Amino acid sequence: MAELLIEIGFEEMPASWLPGLGEGLASSFASLREKHGLSGDGGSSDVRVMWGPRRLALGAGVSERQADADTLVWGPALKAAKDATGAWTKAADGFAKKNGVAPEALLTRAKDANKPDELNLLFVKAVPGRPAGEVLPELLAALLRSLAFPKRMSWDAWLDDGKGAFPFGRPIRWIVALLDGAVIPFEIFELVNAAKGARLLGSGRATHGHRFLPRGSGGAPADVASFDDLIKRLRERHVLLDPAERAARIDASLQTAGAPAHEIAGEWRDLVEWPTVLVGSVPEEFRSLPVDVLETVLVHHQKYVPIPDGNTIARFAAVTNTDGAAGAAIVAGMERVVVARLRDAAFFWGEDRKRTLADRVADLEGVTFHRELGSYRQKAERLEKLVDAMAAAGVLAKDDVDGAREAARLCKADLTTAMVREFTELQGVMGGLYLEAQGGADADVAAAVRWHYHPVSVEETAAPAGAVAGRAARLFAAVSLADKLDTLAGYFSIGEMPTGSRDPFGLRRAGQGVIRVLLDFWPQGSSPDLRTLVRAALAAYPAPAKPPAMPVAEALDNFLLERLEAVLAARGFAVDVVRAAVGAAEPAALENPREVLLRARALAQVLGEAAADFQSLAVAFKRARNILDKDAPATAVDPKLFDHDAERELHAAVVALGRGAGAYAERLVALRSLRAPVDRFFDQVLVMAEDASVRGNRLALLRETLGLFYRIADLSRLGGIA
Amino acid sequence: MNLQEIVFALQRYWAQHGCLVHQPWDVEVGAGTMHPETFLRVLGPRHWNVAYLQPSRRPADGRYGENPNRLYKHQQFQVILKPAPKDVQDVYLASLEAIGIDPAAHDVRFEEDNWESPTLGAWGIGWQVLLDGQEITQFTYFQQAGGIDLAPISAEITYGLERIAMYLQDVDDVYDLRWSDGVRYRDVRHEEEFQLSRYSFEQADVELHRRIFDQSLAEGWRVLKLEGGRTVLPAYDWCLKSSHAFNVLDARGAISVSQRAGMILAIRKLACAVAAGWVEAEHARLAPPAPAATEVTRG
Repeated sequence: MAELLIEIGFEEMPASWLPGLGEGLASSFASLREKHGLSGDGGSSDVRVMWGPRRLALGAGVSERQADADTLVWGPALKAAKDATGAWTKAADGFAKKNGVAPEALLTRAKDANKPDELNLLFVKAVPGRPAGEVLPELLAALLRSLAFPKRMSWDAWLDDGKGAFPFGRPIRWIVALLDGAVIPFEIFELVNAAKGARLLGSGRATHGHRFLPRGSGGAPADVASFDDLIKRLRERHVLLDPAERAARIDASLQTAGAPAHEIAGEWRDLVEWPTVLVGSVPEEFRSLPVDVLETVLVHHQKYVPIPDGNTIARFAAVTNTDGAAGAAIVAGMERVVVARLRDAAFFWGEDRKRTLADRVADLEGVTFHRELGSYRQKAERLEKLVDAMAAAGVLAKDDVDGAREAARLCKADLTTAMVREFTELQGVMGGLYLEAQGGADADVAAAVRWHYHPVSVEETAAPAGAVAGRAARLFAAVSLADKLDTLAGYFSIGEMPTGSRDPFGLRRAGQGVIRVLLDFWPQGSSPDLRTLVRAALAAYPAPAKPPAMPVAEALDNFLLERLEAVLAARGFAVDVVRAAVGAAEPAALENPREVLLRARALAQVLGEAAADFQSLAVAFKRARNILDKDAPATAVDPKLFDHDAERELHAAVVALGRGAGAYAERLVALRSLRAPVDRFFDQVLVMAEDASVRGNRLALLRETLGLFYRIADLSRLGGIA
Repeated sequence: MNLQEIVFALQRYWAQHGCLVHQPWDVEVGAGTMHPETFLRVLGPRHWNVAYLQPSRRPADGRYGENPNRLYKHQQFQVILKPAPKDVQDVYLASLEAIGIDPAAHDVRFEEDNWESPTLGAWGIGWQVLLDGQEITQFTYFQQAGGIDLAPISAEITYGLERIAMYLQDVDDVYDLRWSDGVRYRDVRHEEEFQLSRYSFEQADVELHRRIFDQSLAEGWRVLKLEGGRTVLPAYDWCLKSSHAFNVLDARGAISVSQRAGMILAIRKLACAVAAGWVEAEHARLAPPAPAATEVTRG
């Protein structure tokens, strides 16, 4: 095997693309190496890929040359190759001559193994393998073409691979391509008037380090010999090629700086080549600002890691692409940017508090929710109505109604504050903070306002898990649910439902939020029926001028069912288990999503423990269901009409199980005892008896049997059963 | 460096690097990109390198002269390199040295930031250049202008002059900038910021601006369609005027959400027609004279 090194040097690639590009480079290379016959005996495990903001690098073994191969060249049929006298025909001579041999040297073989009598002439052409150095330029072109960018750009480049124009993620500025230290020739040309122009750049052995470091020779070319040599030379030139090494260096430096772990730190790994952490301070005068405001300025706007001090943030850690030598001046610059922002924030914090949040509700008239759906003032009014609907349905404790209504009325008012207009990511948060700050406010209402845009992600641990409890959690759940259902009802009623990858209003996320509120935050022991609330939410809007083409309520029901399935799937349940749990009755999925979660857990557990038992039970379930689907009429079971022991036995089992209570898993396990009586029933009893009353009674028995399942799961949705 | 020295230095630097030094366009624009030296010259095959300062009016950003960072009108220094040279990033970084910023003594990074102008039917790929966390330049490889795919690709470098000057002079309030050694930014521009902010937010005649918007577009289309051609330049000026009228109406709060998209589309349509006309004329100018043969009739 020979050692191949490829480094593609480019202008700064978007950091979020790089991990995907690295993965793509490794997998494309492995399959191209195979396709070009250069894999030798080596697997793909030896492919190493690393990257930084300005480069992708690959090191791998390749065969020194392709293996020799035989190519079969088929000639004319034997019938046409020899005349009546057995002499070679013109056709045969021609074929032999074309391949440079005498006709006698040709083989006679059946082209189709199934037709051994139909023989043709055959020439076996030996194709010698080409040396790797000759094959690699083609491979390199295909490799560059194979990289998938979220967005490509034209940079006036042309590749001589027959495909012409060569868009890429960012302009390529150099290419290192070495096979055992020897340069693999490769060129990129200019694209001029849609055709090939002058040479733009060619492969070589020179990499480039950090733009500015070491001082005085930053960016100067440096020859390399191998992948390991590249890592070493780049390190000397202030570039860490290995993303893992950069991440480790950032983490260690942040730790030294006293910065607690923060997810923003991860974004820095692919933004810098030589990560160096510098620490700046938040001037005393701004430390009295709410921590959420300080965090927003530091994290969202500057990607700096906040370093808390007591209950404020006194300093911040910034990752720079420097050696830190000019640290003081850089920190001064960063602090200036932060201070300018904080000064705005402090001004807003002072100004906004001159009015109470309640006073701002009227101003929501001027803030458009959606041009066809009115203002936020109207939205707030609808949210109050939805809270009332929850109270009417008896799912909101009496003592909570006033607080929930208050939170619903106030939750959007911060949209009129200067702080939220400038820092939109603080919507909700500012409402909560301003309520707390104005004094005399209900802390639980403030918490509900603060969190009502959440939950925004599907994990059980995502916010506001752990941040709200007791009455605050109940008020939050009511307002959050009302807000999301109102948004969904509005957009669905004007025909703006998500389609395919298009979801401009984030309705899928809103739907998942609805589900999560009910799964994770709604008080135990009660659950609002989503079907009722969907209709209440729709009714809160004025009747549309033109009635929608499809029943909106049903569309929204189905959408929420899909979101429920999506949330459960995201929590690791198999799709068929989710469908079976959603498909069960009593209670229906939308009546109580938390029961669906419990059913799915039980199903997954029991399926895992006794899959085979379960499978045959499911077959019986399906037999019963198929018969019932055709003959619907329902009557009660009358034991007097039994004339088989098998009927009595099944009935006794069903009655006994029907009395059973307890967790879904226990009940499901107990159902396994039905297998024998069900099998016997089908073996010995003819369901479709001639006597109508006997037939009706047997169908009723089957219906009761199925009912036991339907309370837990629709088994027909399980894989391999339906 | 005071503000005017920064301008001198950039003009000299880019002139030395082959740019024609042009002047601001004399119609209100929201950005240096709208200057015909950018919007039209990036179209077609002809190579072109140009640099100019462009005062850019953004009525909705006006703050009555009270905000230390936001302005109704700020100054952009704009460079177009067509085609973009291979070492364009290095050439740009060297320009920072020309105005007294040593990149090796700072944290300079190119961070992804693509640019799009819905009114011009234009977009590009690029970065914001951050100096110690402060955005000082927008760097864009134009991909499309007036809805037309570009070849060759131009690099557009836009310096935010006030930002850079505030950094260099170490001041926190734009009005404290030294414009020359004896004159402050406040002395030159504060009253203008106040009056123009108040005009756009409170005093502008909405009905008049609606008429200006409609009539500018109408006049642009009328002149563009005149027999004989060679009318794209006046048509483009009218397109710019409609765009400014739109911005004033927007600041005045006179554009509803439903009108907004339609008005932007109307400006874009004219901009695209102007771009198409320019490209056609460029081809005629650049192509070798066709042999006078058969008469060509248009269907």
